[in-house]
Amino acid sequence: MTKVIVMDEKKKISRKDFLKLAVPAAAAALASGSLNLAKAVSREDESIQAPEVDLSKLPRELVQKNELLRMQEDLLRALSKPRKERKWAMVLDLRRCIGCSACTIACKAENVLPPGVVYRPVMDEEIGTYPKVTRRFIPRPCMQCEKPPCVPVCPVKATHKREDGIVAVDYERCIGCRYCITACPYNARSADFGETYTQGTPKVQDYELRPAFEYNKIWPRKHGASPIGNARKCHFCIHRIEKGMLPACVTTCIGGATYFGDNNDRDSLVSEFIARPNITTLKSELGTRPKVYYIWG
Amino acid sequence: MNQKKQLSRKEFLKLSTGAGAGALLGRELLENSGLLKNALAQAEKIQEADYVLNKPENIINSVCLQCNTGCSLKVKLLDGLAVKIDGNPYSPWTMWPHLPYKTSLSESAGIDGHICPKGQSGIQTLYDPYRIRRVLKRAGKRGENKWVSIPFEQAVKEIVEGGKLFSNVPGEENRDLSGLKDIWVLRDPKVFKEMNSDIKEIWHSKEPEEKKEKIREFKEKFKEHLDKLIDPEHPDFGPKNNQLLWIHGRLKSGRSEFFKRFIQDSFGSVNFHGHTTVCQGSLYFTGKSMSDQYDFDEKEKKAKWGGGKKFYWQADLSGAEFVLFVGSSPFEANYGPPYRSNKITQGLVSGKLKYAVVDPRLSKAAAKAWKWLPIKPGTEAALALAMIRWVIENGKYDLKYLANANKAAAKIDKEPNWTNACWLVKIKDEKPGEFLRASDIGIEKARKTKSLKDGTSIDYEFDNFVCYENNQPVAFDPNDAEIPAEGDLLVDAEISGIKVKSVLEIIRQEAFKYTIDGWAELCGLEVKDIIAVSEEFTSHGKRACADIHRGVSQHTNGFYNVLAWYTLNLLIGNYDWQGGSSQASAYDNVGEKEGKPYDMTKLHPKKISPFGISIIRHDVKYEETTIYSGYPAKRPWFPMASDVYQEILPSAGDGYPYPIKALIMYMGTPAYSLPAGQTQAEVLADINKIPLFIASDITIGESSIYADYIIPDLSYLERWEFQGSHPSVIWKVQPVRQPAVAPIPEEVEVFEERMPISLEAFFLKAAELMNLPGFGKGGLKEGLDLFRPEDYYLKMTANVAFGDENDGRNAVPDADAQELEVFLKARRHLPKSVFSIEKWQSAVSPLLWRKVVYVLNRGGRFDDFEAAFDGKQLKNKYGKQINMYIEKLAKAKNSISGKGFPTSATYLPIADSQGNIINDEKEGFSLNLITYREMAQCKSRTISNYWLLSLLPENFILLNSQDALRLGLTNGDLVKVVSKTNPEGVWDLKAAGKKPMIGKLKVIEGIRPGVTAFSLGHGHWAYGAGEIVIDGKNIKPDKRRSLGIHANSAMRIDPYLKNVCLQDLVGASVAFYDTYVTLVKV
Repeated sequence: MTKVIVMDEKKKISRKDFLKLAVPAAAAALASGSLNLAKAVSREDESIQAPEVDLSKLPRELVQKNELLRMQEDLLRALSKPRKERKWAMVLDLRRCIGCSACTIACKAENVLPPGVVYRPVMDEEIGTYPKVTRRFIPRPCMQCEKPPCVPVCPVKATHKREDGIVAVDYERCIGCRYCITACPYNARSADFGETYTQGTPKVQDYELRPAFEYNKIWPRKHGASPIGNARKCHFCIHRIEKGMLPACVTTCIGGATYFGDNNDRDSLVSEFIARPNITTLKSELGTRPKVYYIWG
Repeated sequence: MNQKKQLSRKEFLKLSTGAGAGALLGRELLENSGLLKNALAQAEKIQEADYVLNKPENIINSVCLQCNTGCSLKVKLLDGLAVKIDGNPYSPWTMWPHLPYKTSLSESAGIDGHICPKGQSGIQTLYDPYRIRRVLKRAGKRGENKWVSIPFEQAVKEIVEGGKLFSNVPGEENRDLSGLKDIWVLRDPKVFKEMNSDIKEIWHSKEPEEKKEKIREFKEKFKEHLDKLIDPEHPDFGPKNNQLLWIHGRLKSGRSEFFKRFIQDSFGSVNFHGHTTVCQGSLYFTGKSMSDQYDFDEKEKKAKWGGGKKFYWQADLSGAEFVLFVGSSPFEANYGPPYRSNKITQGLVSGKLKYAVVDPRLSKAAAKAWKWLPIKPGTEAALALAMIRWVIENGKYDLKYLANANKAAAKIDKEPNWTNACWLVKIKDEKPGEFLRASDIGIEKARKTKSLKDGTSIDYEFDNFVCYENNQPVAFDPNDAEIPAEGDLLVDAEISGIKVKSVLEIIRQEAFKYTIDGWAELCGLEVKDIIAVSEEFTSHGKRACADIHRGVSQHTNGFYNVLAWYTLNLLIGNYDWQGGSSQASAYDNVGEKEGKPYDMTKLHPKKISPFGISIIRHDVKYEETTIYSGYPAKRPWFPMASDVYQEILPSAGDGYPYPIKALIMYMGTPAYSLPAGQTQAEVLADINKIPLFIASDITIGESSIYADYIIPDLSYLERWEFQGSHPSVIWKVQPVRQPAVAPIPEEVEVFEERMPISLEAFFLKAAELMNLPGFGKGGLKEGLDLFRPEDYYLKMTANVAFGDENDGRNAVPDADAQELEVFLKARRHLPKSVFSIEKWQSAVSPLLWRKVVYVLNRGGRFDDFEAAFDGKQLKNKYGKQINMYIEKLAKAKNSISGKGFPTSATYLPIADSQGNIINDEKEGFSLNLITYREMAQCKSRTISNYWLLSLLPENFILLNSQDALRLGLTNGDLVKVVSKTNPEGVWDLKAAGKKPMIGKLKVIEGIRPGVTAFSLGHGHWAYGAGEIVIDGKNIKPDKRRSLGIHANSAMRIDPYLKNVCLQDLVGASVAFYDTYVTLVKV
């Protein structure tokens, strides 16, 4: 017993140094648990559950005209295939991005992101000289690279590429070393220090402590428990797409600039865009082969 | 797998410092301890849990109010906690095209609509740690932010009874206050009615002696009641009841009628005033003047101008091919980004839409525009007139449309509306005045018969208007649907010795005052740009539109700026056409339309029609009142406007026309939101000027900080309201705001009913204590009670569900068993004090209950996508006359100068209330200060939203690099904003302290040189940003909320009035963009 306490103390200090936060002992166990991991992996092999969305009763004309519904239908079609036959991709039409950051906040709320963790920032830059001047807005989520530089640097193989192309973090494995954060050329990852926005106010609010649904699991926000202490990143809202819903940044995009779908499906809207001559990727010279594409103009 | 993982972790240990090691060893030890089992059990539970935010039973569809766009929401709940807000897919605001209304809840639950970052962050307005739960009573000086929390019942009792309520505050020991019961003195609706009618007679008597005689007669007739008047010598001040003053910020239908019920219908005060003029008053009141119709008035039994709607038009983006956004910022503000952005961007990408932006700042919309016209602020009408000149010069106006003088002529052309462009106006001393009437040129007045509402009919005289067709005068009735009248458009003639001009000719001459070069120089734009946008504007038939907003209206010349731009739209006749100017259309929740289930305007056992001059002196002519004493009047009078926000408190402060006794303030913050807000704070801080001040707020805000009592309110996610619509929304709709989560304020008892504290609860309790009619048992009528907010709001929802056809053929379907089940399940987290199925069900007729559920399940009522179109026209039409020429203005006078007002589009320079041109620029204040909206803040109420602060922790003072160079300033400098009327550059907030107006400079290219800007919403000193003491305990402020700059205090104070900002004396807008400042490096 004495020994446990000693070790716990030691851990506290070291975590503070490393993660700048204190971790109660019990939580560490919560964060891992080998049995769960085994189960999660086996689930990944399954040909996924039936989507919970049905668009079949909606008027066809509406589904064709409404870009969100069209994409959601594309998504449902993709879900009917085994996971390894899907290749999720995103297209960001910068002509349509109005720099509102609705995506940034939708993502924060959907994935319960604390201060310092951003999956989907939007850059705002001014170009030109008065009066010939413009502004460009660039959303920059994780590029879900074909050859992700973050994967090989992970010492515990927590960061991995799924068979549907999404680069995921296994929170139960992640030890928070942050090598991946440094390795990512797109600055797409951030560390979860377990902070809350309402700390220091009269009361930390419950909505900040509610569990996230990332990776089809439930992650209560408790110190010492994942994802606190982990590296975090965009995962195309796996927990939504596998239920038949588009990622939160896509549905909330008020400029209609964000497209999502299966690039293995030639009939999907994203495939149409990706085949056009004005499509590009960020830092293509690095050979990372992003699955997030941009239309610059 | 497990083995592998441990190995990799061990490998990592070797590589890492001790930090990771500690964590790992701790875990291993735990695995071997007794704690493991528990931890695993918990982890197991985690695994099995499912995504629940796409289940209809975890969703309540409602309406946003983070800004007034009022987008439809899908509030997602996790064990009763609001955790995620998305757009409601049933609504045109948040889905394009939106789902058919009949779509089932199980289908819509998995489909999310879009919503802006403010909408998403509403959870943080709801769960703001600085929200108040109990009534706060002032325990220090006004503004000192010292409070005691007291029981609700005690608070309402004190407010009703009055007395020495603040004897505990030094200096106020003997201050004896009138309570509400002392102000509610005249109580008989009949006496109100009689006095009101006699007052009108006093006003209508022209000679001073006659007026005196009428006053004498009045005093004699009402001698029993004279003690109930504010001043028997000025009976037109009305009863003492008027000394209860109501001021509101954001108020929507439902609550609006409920609160008016108390203040006006039951209590009898005429002083119920809103905030329109701080937003875009001159847009609304120009719209009101332009929509006045000349028709028979049942009350006055004669034909007159009236019935104008306080409203405005916007561009319909569903079909526009060219839009000129003028002072409207569709990607960042306006009504509103979620509704409009995708239509613009899609049009842009598809090539169907071209647009230009007129704005001194390169807004996000300007950044993507075909052309950006960085106009000199305040010269918006000059640009409109330049374009009008080009359009007329090049014959590009819609001649056929403009020639229609009346309804019949419009009908023949299948035009949904018509203008007075060809009507003839009498010219006196070179000045356009009243319209020429048939009787002026010897044509006899017409006799007409009007059937009245009560089934009887009345004969009356009608003096026709006149137009000129082929050099022949033609007399006509504008509303004649049978005999068409068409007129020549450019007429300058003399008929029977009377000089006349057609309206369009008057406007032409105004537009031709300057060449296009001359206008271009005035507004600081390039001639070629003006010509290019004019050409484009006239190259798309009716599918082009000028979309205007605050940048046009919030100037001292706002009314005429708006009139000029709307005139330009009239030249191409785009009103009611797809891609042209559209108006809002909403299902009637109040029940005034014939055949509706509940007419809330009539459901009152003892309804009063209040009377008397309002504290803001609106809707009345100064010259007719008993207080008329020549020019200048002490404060301005507003014959064309209402809800003159900036005048409410300074007028009360000046006691003009009379002092007030108690103030109730709802969801408003004049001290923060108005230009020169310190002048408003000064009145609020003064216990002599506002003896009793009750504020309703969700937290302690910049204005409620001065209150004597703060009644905690429900946030928009906990309460009822009917949002209505905006002109840009072409569908007929009625979004219904409803309780989505358990309320934060404490639960209290009113009329033996449990409910959370809210402003409704306050009024219900006050009515209970005062025995005020219109509330409680039989409050609506015999056998129909008003104990709870739902007794009122569910009836309104039933009105929406019933539809606007008197036989109910337009009613929504009944909710089926499955929908009823979802309805109940989705509200399982609401306490009984909010949701009781028995109480809700009994509030409406059993025949309507399932329809009510159908509407609530969808967050309101929305017409299907196809229903908005009628060929190339819009289905929901304005469909009446639109005035280019405002005859009412020819008869009105400026109460300060005593002069007349212009009557049609014109350019006026920026001036003070006396008409003197403001020239601070010449005194060394070289920068024109403007404000704008960032997406990440609303005007005053989103600083508590930390997600938004993560996007924009502080705002900036924007400055062009040319100015920075000239002034020796660099990016990131801290600068103080100094103006002629705020040379210190400091907010003087009385007991709330002083706050310097210092902000961080951002040097950019995207702003017109000579202009500096800051975005609204930052730089707070209350709202959680300042020190608070409640019950002797200090509550730590959140310094994040005070970051950035709010420079309203630098805005120009009117030199004549001295305690209010610059304002437009016609449309009543405040001037947000007419101050010149200096930036002083600190």
